[in-house]
Amino acid sequence: MNAVSASAGGGAFPDSGTAGGDVLLSLDNVVKYYPVRVGVVIKREVAAVKAVDGVDLEIRRGETLGLVGETGCGKSTLARCIAGLHPVTSGRITFDGDDITNLSRRKMRPFRRDIQMIFQDPYGSLNPRRRVGSIIGDPFSVHNIASGEERKRRVQELMELVGLNPEHYNRFPAEFSGGQRQRIGVARALALRPKLIICDEPVSALDVSIQAQILNLLEDLQSDFGLTYVFIAHDLSVVRHVSDRVAVMYLGRIAELGHRADVYDSARHPYTNALLSAAPAADPDEAAARQRIILVGDVPSPLAPPSGCRFHPRCPKAEEICGKTDPVLEVKPGDPETHRTACHFPVGRGEDLARAADALRADAEPTLG
Amino acid sequence: MNLLEVTDLRVSFPTSDGLVQAVRGVSFRVDRGQTLGIVGESGSGKTVCTQTLLGLTPGADVSGRAMFGDVNLITLSADQMRHIRGAQIAAIFQDPLTSLHPLYRVGWQISEMIRAHDRSVTKAQAHQRAVDLLTQVGIPQAAKRADDYPHQFSGGMRQRAMIAMALALNPKLIIADEPTTALDATVQAQILDLLVRLQREHETALIMITHDLGVIADFADDVMVMYAGRAAEYSDRRTLFYRSHHPYTKGLLESIPGSTGATDRLRPIPGQPPSLINVPSGCAFHPRCQYVMDRCIDEMPTLITLPSDGGGHRSACWLPPRATGLGADAEEIRQEAVTMNRTERAKAIAESSAASADARGNVA
Repeated sequence: MNAVSASAGGGAFPDSGTAGGDVLLSLDNVVKYYPVRVGVVIKREVAAVKAVDGVDLEIRRGETLGLVGETGCGKSTLARCIAGLHPVTSGRITFDGDDITNLSRRKMRPFRRDIQMIFQDPYGSLNPRRRVGSIIGDPFSVHNIASGEERKRRVQELMELVGLNPEHYNRFPAEFSGGQRQRIGVARALALRPKLIICDEPVSALDVSIQAQILNLLEDLQSDFGLTYVFIAHDLSVVRHVSDRVAVMYLGRIAELGHRADVYDSARHPYTNALLSAAPAADPDEAAARQRIILVGDVPSPLAPPSGCRFHPRCPKAEEICGKTDPVLEVKPGDPETHRTACHFPVGRGEDLARAADALRADAEPTLG
Repeated sequence: MNLLEVTDLRVSFPTSDGLVQAVRGVSFRVDRGQTLGIVGESGSGKTVCTQTLLGLTPGADVSGRAMFGDVNLITLSADQMRHIRGAQIAAIFQDPLTSLHPLYRVGWQISEMIRAHDRSVTKAQAHQRAVDLLTQVGIPQAAKRADDYPHQFSGGMRQRAMIAMALALNPKLIIADEPTTALDATVQAQILDLLVRLQREHETALIMITHDLGVIADFADDVMVMYAGRAAEYSDRRTLFYRSHHPYTKGLLESIPGSTGATDRLRPIPGQPPSLINVPSGCAFHPRCQYVMDRCIDEMPTLITLPSDGGGHRSACWLPPRATGLGADAEEIRQEAVTMNRTERAKAIAESSAASADARGNVA
């Protein structure tokens, strides 16, 4: 493996920048439950938090897959399962042709080089007592790749690559701003030239002007190194900006999956529609033209998710079948092959959900009447 | 009618590292029933500005005037302030979990607040009022939920409870500091919808502090953009989004995906927000500004009215007043002004900031 250098693009990575190549990672009915135990000596399992509850997903080489959803929808858990940080309860994860589901530590080791993560909180994800050079150099020592002067040279190359001054090798994280710390996190993730980087809310903690700097950096690195990203965020406009394809999650399941334009411009799932209509737009005309679909209540607890379609208690279109039968994630009539929706009554073009939602809400919140 | 008129507010905090100049001369006004949005990044002084009005910045050196009706909020004693805070000016903060007391029932906290301002209200009356308020903000089965503790509420419900508490005494002004930042998108929409609806019903004025331009694009009447403790631009909402003048506002609009100024490739503002201990000379934004001219380095611009926009549009920038909006014609005016008014000194600053504008090169 070559040392990382700023000029390495194109040649070394034939797949660079081509979205929609072969499948790099596939998830097959992945389930992750966290048991809830009571008792002091004899621990009884009384319930399970169904964080991820049957997810099928394919991630193609070179693409950016955006994963959106609200707090508790399981997007971060799914990311951690992919990275092998949490064992899955059932299902199969295949990476580049190899089954990596619940591998032992030793067997997982080679794959850890290929799958890296960037975390949300640039304050919590860096050890404040260690120097930046040694933080970024960690992956090299863990995998016995380079040491001494060689490691220092490579770390400094990485720092330059992500826009940090290589002379700051010996500084502590506290001496860097939030945006710069996030660059440190990016450099560390990049050290072993991974194939897949999972970005878990990489810009949510940053100010808008700094956010744009990091988004551009991630974009440049992707085209230089042919990286594949799984990009998790709750900010829909950020996800729209970076993603090739988007998966919308609700209570541990994928509600809708498709190319960015399909999901954003002709969303079929009522939840996707509500989510999109709720996202603030920094454009008064667009905000005024938009019909806000205001949902009833909060996301239910993943301890006891609703039966059938998980969205049905809040859904303006729900009918009897929605509470009984679980909808399958499938291509709906009139949609392209790549656009799949898990809904019994997908939203048609130009349908007015806002009014139905208001009617439903008036029942739940009597003061609205 | 002017409800609140703040004139030349300055707030600084003496620290062991030096004097932190959090607010460096800000003026704004809010009329009855009106919404003012204050936008800025971390450290722009937007929160300190409004906390000072509520008397919540102990230890700070404050100067200026803040006339609320005929009282100057700045000169009030702690005791006098206590009568105004909550009753006439209410506040809603970002994190509802830290603003509610974890060991008291939600209903009790609201009724206690009512009784603290008016002892003639009986406990039973206050409790009933609390239940009514919780119903009004859309808490289902409010009579029952009033006996819950804050941890039994979800994030959105806690924020609803905070709004109920803020409304309890029918204040004339509500200060909402990032009220939806901690909430998910669909819940954020619920809360904003509720806040605006109640504000209209009660004719309450609202100051909405946010870092998210999207939150105010929908309903603020006026918007003030703050940078390094000063107002960079101040105008009505539409003007700000479509005919902005200050390069910082322009930079913000261009760095938010999906905003009026966004392009395929985001154009971030280079560099970092400045330290408030060593605020840059002249215009505080000049080290990051692509249009920096010589006078920007030494002379601090004040808010001037731009004649082209009917008098309501003010900007603190030395660029020609005609250079408004994100269009090509405005860009031409800006470029022309820059070429005529830039010597080696400003050129060097612009070049180094341009070099770091490239996403890679943010070398500090």
